[in-house]
Amino acid sequence: MKEPEQKLVVPNGWLEALVRKLRVQGTRVLAPVERDGAVDFREINSADEMAANYVNTRVPLKEILFPRTETILEFDQPSGGDVVFSGVEANAAPTIVIGARPCDLSAIGVLDTVFNWDYHDTFYGQRRANTTFVGVACREADGNCFCGSVAGGAGENEGSDVFVRPTADGALLEIMTERGKKLAQSIDDAAPAAGKEEPLPVAATEERFDVEKIKGWLDDHFDDDFWLDVSLKCLGCGACSYLCPTCHCFDIVDESDWRGGERRRNWDCCSFALFTLHTSGHNPRPDQQSRCRNRLMHKFKYFVERFGRRACVGCGRCIRVCGAGQNIVNVLIDITRAEAATSGSA
Amino acid sequence: MQELTAQLREKAKELLDAKTVDLVIGYGPTGDNGEMTAVFARKPEDVEKLGLNGQCFRNLAVYLNKPEVRKQGKPAIVVKGCDRRALNVLIRERRLAREDLHIIGVNCDGVGEPLMGKCKFCSVHNPEECDDVLGDQIEMPAEDGQFDDVGEMEQLSGDERWKFWSEKLGECIRCYACRQVCPMCYCKRCVVEKNIPQWVETSPHLRGNLSWNVIRAFHLTGRCIGCGECERVCPMAIPIGLINKKLTKLVKEEFQFAAGMTDDEKGPFSTFDLDIDTDKGIL
Repeated sequence: MKEPEQKLVVPNGWLEALVRKLRVQGTRVLAPVERDGAVDFREINSADEMAANYVNTRVPLKEILFPRTETILEFDQPSGGDVVFSGVEANAAPTIVIGARPCDLSAIGVLDTVFNWDYHDTFYGQRRANTTFVGVACREADGNCFCGSVAGGAGENEGSDVFVRPTADGALLEIMTERGKKLAQSIDDAAPAAGKEEPLPVAATEERFDVEKIKGWLDDHFDDDFWLDVSLKCLGCGACSYLCPTCHCFDIVDESDWRGGERRRNWDCCSFALFTLHTSGHNPRPDQQSRCRNRLMHKFKYFVERFGRRACVGCGRCIRVCGAGQNIVNVLIDITRAEAATSGSA
Repeated sequence: MQELTAQLREKAKELLDAKTVDLVIGYGPTGDNGEMTAVFARKPEDVEKLGLNGQCFRNLAVYLNKPEVRKQGKPAIVVKGCDRRALNVLIRERRLAREDLHIIGVNCDGVGEPLMGKCKFCSVHNPEECDDVLGDQIEMPAEDGQFDDVGEMEQLSGDERWKFWSEKLGECIRCYACRQVCPMCYCKRCVVEKNIPQWVETSPHLRGNLSWNVIRAFHLTGRCIGCGECERVCPMAIPIGLINKKLTKLVKEEFQFAAGMTDDEKGPFSTFDLDIDTDKGIL
């Protein structure tokens, strides 16, 4: 939890007014919208279009900054001439995202780290600079949410530019950043908070395992039968990674006809056998157990060692979408138990 | 149901104790929501994890294709009638040898709550040609109207169908859950992964998605047994089962064939006979 730069109180109806004003200004507004039973971020013109109840969106927030596919270069060879390359601008229209969840916003911190680690990714960076995130505390969680075990929980404000805590007759707005301050200028009827406001209670997401102990076990169990046991049911698809708010691997492909085409960046996934297959035919992760192990190790060990933070925020999407019924919480509970058994016998 | 679970555990223990098989692929409850997922019993004490109830909708036949599972030795597998059809296709396509497999059939009056669509039209409640069968014989006639949803789609104009599928397939993120869960998608290297040349664009844009989903369905023509797993696992809720069903309907109408009813009858697209197929230009 971070101390806000500023706290404001707004009455009911503030959001409707804000969206209206932003749209009049021509600003792009994205918010969770339900279509055919699925809630995803879509462009809205009015706050009425927003989903009334949603635990979280189906596709994570990351897609707004890191789309599933994007063109990063175009090439063309006019008849008889040389190949001409042309750069492509990131589609980075100023955007206000309303209704993002604390877990997904926490995940943006993970993406920031990766996309600015050694090389500053211009496509990601331009969108990031032009996007303002309005996060909302979760009043409801479902049985698959586990942010309370790995991240700050349903009321975490970190990662938001403006964080909304609903109250009985409006909301308490926590202005977290400069971008948030700029947005707050468009919010009508905002008064400085008196400090007595009582936000409605956030969803309880109890701690289901001790995440601190997991890394210790992972450090010592690269080779272990555990990985076979947990991976046999994995079918090796990419659903968990593609819909994970922190997974950030991508593939670069050229798609062209006989004269020209484009270079694209697409989501990729370490669960696929092809992900690590070398041209020689050798595959350093030759089976699903090594791939499942990598996915977990990356989130709870490698990323922690390299960047000082975990790459799992407890959104629970991987559990919801897994066709094989794999449940990362159960796996992490099993690891905690194994760790307890190991440290008990030591 | 508890009685069936007890029978299954007893049978599985007997098979593992006697080393008739090295593992039993079955169902078991995971987590606290009673969902039944795949369980791999490799030791006699593992059989306590096995169970049977009305939520065993997954088709476990897919696991027989996985090298990681194959490596565990000779398997026994728990199948419903529909899953048994998948084994027939795999045996017919020489993917599996019948003698390398111990089949534990479970008579099934339908799975899922509410009852899954495929169960209403099921004609194989009692799996045949199994090494063991659990449960009482089920007498349950298949309902009419198996292809009603395909019929509704056929009533639409080309433009309407194009709009419908463009919207639906436009959502595909190319996670390949549909392929990975399909017992018939066992190619060591899928056509979409072949990149010299790149036959199918891998980008999740409409063009690439159309190519992928159409190729996927074509490769399953006359082979799909309609278990519906592809559609069930699609994270984007794309009704891809409907494409398979259209092809299943065509194969039924044009060739009077249904996949996986026996383990020796070749599908219409798996046969070529120089004496019969006399059209010029095929070869």
